Amino acid sequence: MDKEHRSGNFSYVVGAEKGLRDLLAGAETMPLLEGAVEAGVLSAAITDSKGGVVWSAGCPGEKTYAETAPISVEGELVGRIMVTVGTEAEVGSYLKGLLHILSVATNMIIRANLKRVLTTETHATVVNRSYEELVETNRRLTVSEGKYRELAATLEKKVEERTGELKRAQEGMLRREKMASIGQLAAGLAHEINNPMGYVSSNIRTLKKYVWRMGTIMDFYRSLIEGPAVHDAIRRQAREKWKELKLDVVSGDMNDLIDQCLDGSDRVRKIVSDLQAFAHVEDGTEVPVNINREIDRTLDVISHQVPEGTEVVREYSPLPAFTCNPALICQVFLNIILNSLQSGSEKPRIFLTTSCEDDLIAVSISDNGNGIPADIRNRIFDPFFTTKEVGKGTGMGLSVVYEIVTAYGGTIEVKSEPGEGATFLLKLPAGRRPNVKVF
Amino acid sequence: MIEYDEVERRMVLKLVYYGPALSGKTTNLLRLHDFLETEGRGDLMVLDTKDDRTIFFDLLPFFLEAPSGLKIKVKVYTVPGQVRHDATRKAVLQRADGVAFIADSQLAESTNNFGSFDNLEKNLSLVGLDIDEMPLVIQFNKRDLHEIIPEADIKRVWSPTGIALFMASALEGWGVAETFGGLLGRTYDRVDKRFSLSREHGLDRQTFLEKLTRRAGEAVTGKRLR
Repeated sequence: MDKEHRSGNFSYVVGAEKGLRDLLAGAETMPLLEGAVEAGVLSAAITDSKGGVVWSAGCPGEKTYAETAPISVEGELVGRIMVTVGTEAEVGSYLKGLLHILSVATNMIIRANLKRVLTTETHATVVNRSYEELVETNRRLTVSEGKYRELAATLEKKVEERTGELKRAQEGMLRREKMASIGQLAAGLAHEINNPMGYVSSNIRTLKKYVWRMGTIMDFYRSLIEGPAVHDAIRRQAREKWKELKLDVVSGDMNDLIDQCLDGSDRVRKIVSDLQAFAHVEDGTEVPVNINREIDRTLDVISHQVPEGTEVVREYSPLPAFTCNPALICQVFLNIILNSLQSGSEKPRIFLTTSCEDDLIAVSISDNGNGIPADIRNRIFDPFFTTKEVGKGTGMGLSVVYEIVTAYGGTIEVKSEPGEGATFLLKLPAGRRPNVKVF
Repeated sequence: MIEYDEVERRMVLKLVYYGPALSGKTTNLLRLHDFLETEGRGDLMVLDTKDDRTIFFDLLPFFLEAPSGLKIKVKVYTVPGQVRHDATRKAVLQRADGVAFIADSQLAESTNNFGSFDNLEKNLSLVGLDIDEMPLVIQFNKRDLHEIIPEADIKRVWSPTGIALFMASALEGWGVAETFGGLLGRTYDRVDKRFSLSREHGLDRQTFLEKLTRRAGEAVTGKRLR
């Protein structure tokens, strides 16, 4: 038996047990009892189930005759009505009749009260519960209304955001399409140029050797001619011929011409190799690499191109592995860093930081150069766009960077203020497979 | 949920007649009131009805004393059957010690019967009572009508549940006392298990049933199905 039952302290919503005092009030019973006294009895009283007097009227004498009738609630005897008279003669139909009237009236009052109590309890319970349910419904409706209001208020902003996203996506797509066609063209061109360039450049090198030999023999002949064993007339003729053919100028110019040819062919080779890198982003095997180490490796490779007195600051954070073709990712850093070195600062300073948040690797490369003018900032990633003198730059460096970064599902941004250097910010997703879709 | 007061030596048992609207719950109580002896039986309290529809509930109380002096009050309630009075049903069902489900045998009422039984299961769990633990009987009322579900079909559907089934016509007066007796017997078993009515209070099952179902004139002999 648990505690609840032992205490007998039960709470009912409806129909809790009611006793005599719950269902009868003095104001209801006293007029009845007093009426009985007026009708001639000595006393009239209502007692509880243990015999204790609850309400009474009149005054029972020394020697009295009593009669009682039961009072019940729900079939249970809860008390009695008692009337007393002074003489035995009165205990007859008169007393019994009076008692009957009192009994019927009292029980009727009890039944009516019980009915009222039960009805009120039920009504109150139902009303309370309905009220609670309504309050809860109202609360839910308020919450939902709030949500809709918020939605309505932010709808315009959301539409604007989505439109912006769509616009950017469309621009990206157009750009990729443009790149794709340029890439195909570039791949074809590169192949066609490579073949003739191969033998042109090789032949020029051979030619340079031959020319050196010819020069050497000419010098040998000239020294013989100037010697004592040669007849004066022949020496004069030889000198005139040398002069006529302007061989002084020719011998001085010849090496320069050949060197310039070699320079030119080297540059053509470089353009072609850039074009190939541009066109073949997908090539090569992909392995997980540590971006920090790849940046260091790139810096090692270009160490001889870094001007003396250049300050290189590295601030690396631990990074997750990034799966890519290491040659391509090095190419990205190489091209950006070379650009930074040529940014026109007298005391160049390159600032490199890496960090990672939510599997997104961020690489920032800043310089202290002249910065990128606003009017060309959105063209720097276009193929063949260059600010260098004609013949100095290929215009391929940053477009290759852009293609490689986007091919790996990353993004690249540039921030720059004139005179305050430029910052390239790359973001590469480490978690997901690269979204390679280029050419 | 038996209400037991050890100090006052009182126990109150609450039995509820549940079921769809107009299935005859109040008629069941009226018949019991008419049949059973007045000694220990209170008056049937029919709370305000509108067009013969119960909107609060009806209450038929019984009172008996065990040989040990334990006072036992048995209160039999009906609930309003109409769907809209669900809050009242929940209030009445609270702390119930036994349930008689009064189904309407008419073919057209099958859906309402199932709906009301679902409602009973839902409300029992809402007031924290377990239907599997609850003494429960089902009465298929209105067997005097024509368009009704055959008894064989009823048995086929309900027998597997193990719930006691009674056929009745409250209007003609048969099956009513049997249903009540069936519910009382199951309730007694549950109370006896917990409060040892027989061992500690000298009140055996037979006496308990006889005291509460004593007809004016004859003793009830339960004709139970199953």
